[in-house]
Amino acid sequence: MSGLFSWGGRKSEESSAASAPAATVPAVPDTLTTSKVFPRFMTAVAREATPTLLDLGPVVGTNITFFGERLACKIFVDDLFADIEAHARTGTREQLATDLLARLTHDADTIDGILCWDVFDFLDKATGQALATKLKELLRPGGAVYGLFGTTPIELTHYTRYIVESEDSLRLRTYPATPTKRNVLLTRDINKMFDGLTVAESVLLKTSTRETLFRKT
Amino acid sequence: MVNIGKSVIIKGELSGSEDLTIEGQVEGKIELKQNVLTIGPNGKIKAQILAKAVVVQGEVTGNISATERVDIRDAGSVDGDLSAPRVAIADGAHFRGSIDMQKGGAKPAEHRPADVKPAATTAPSTTTSPSATPAGIAATPAR
Repeated sequence: MSGLFSWGGRKSEESSAASAPAATVPAVPDTLTTSKVFPRFMTAVAREATPTLLDLGPVVGTNITFFGERLACKIFVDDLFADIEAHARTGTREQLATDLLARLTHDADTIDGILCWDVFDFLDKATGQALATKLKELLRPGGAVYGLFGTTPIELTHYTRYIVESEDSLRLRTYPATPTKRNVLLTRDINKMFDGLTVAESVLLKTSTRETLFRKT
Repeated sequence: MVNIGKSVIIKGELSGSEDLTIEGQVEGKIELKQNVLTIGPNGKIKAQILAKAVVVQGEVTGNISATERVDIRDAGSVDGDLSAPRVAIADGAHFRGSIDMQKGGAKPAEHRPADVKPAATTAPSTTTSPSATPAGIAATPAR
């Protein structure tokens, strides 16, 4: 993961993603955000005595400690952002869906809580749908999916590590990404993507990010 | 405390009753039920690990089971499953796999076996240090 910090930034339109590393973009300072939905995710997952979580983001040591202390859980860390970046750099995004699904080898109906963070911002519509379908399959009845969806169509030059400071507070720490246009999904598109799950909570944050909790009945 | 230097390569099962630091390469299985295993910055391990506590500063491919804690330092890299009541992962560490902190503590590493092939040879593995099996540590060559 430390290798991710050695590149990033904007590339010229002529250059391919596989060429020399892009110029460094300015670091973005950490931001602290209050979450209204994350506490509900924790409540939903804590109903199980020994829940199983699936974290689709990069490993954050303090998050592991947090979940361990609160939930005494088992956590699968499947950093999909690493795969997204690998394909972005080599210009092979069309193979991304296949690789993402191949990474998620868990049995159906075995996961109590899934932390998507903002992964869908970095996926095209078809890849996002394929991932959502897979996640629905993995989720145990009664389980919960937590996701963040950006609403502004900007070029994304950073990924974000979401560091859980407390049950209702997340620290956002960015690291460089190969630039990609955010895949903005309307609320109805998000709900349709997770068709079959119930939208338990959906809040538009001051950062123009939609924070959503889905539940599987 | 026993040190295995970075020029040492062991293929097989390693077990012992004192703390162990590995800077070399080990492929197979490492068992230190009552002691601390440290994988140094130069250590490269492809093995199932069972210990009281494990500190990773190098590279581990395989499952780690600890009765007390697993600590992956900032230069450490683990691809495998962890089972321990306490797990600490420093910023900058690489990790991919599962982390089992469920009550009941460590279980024998049995999920997703490490992609380790036992060495075909029955002879003791190649070493370049004076002693391949320091006192307190037993190494069983792979079959």
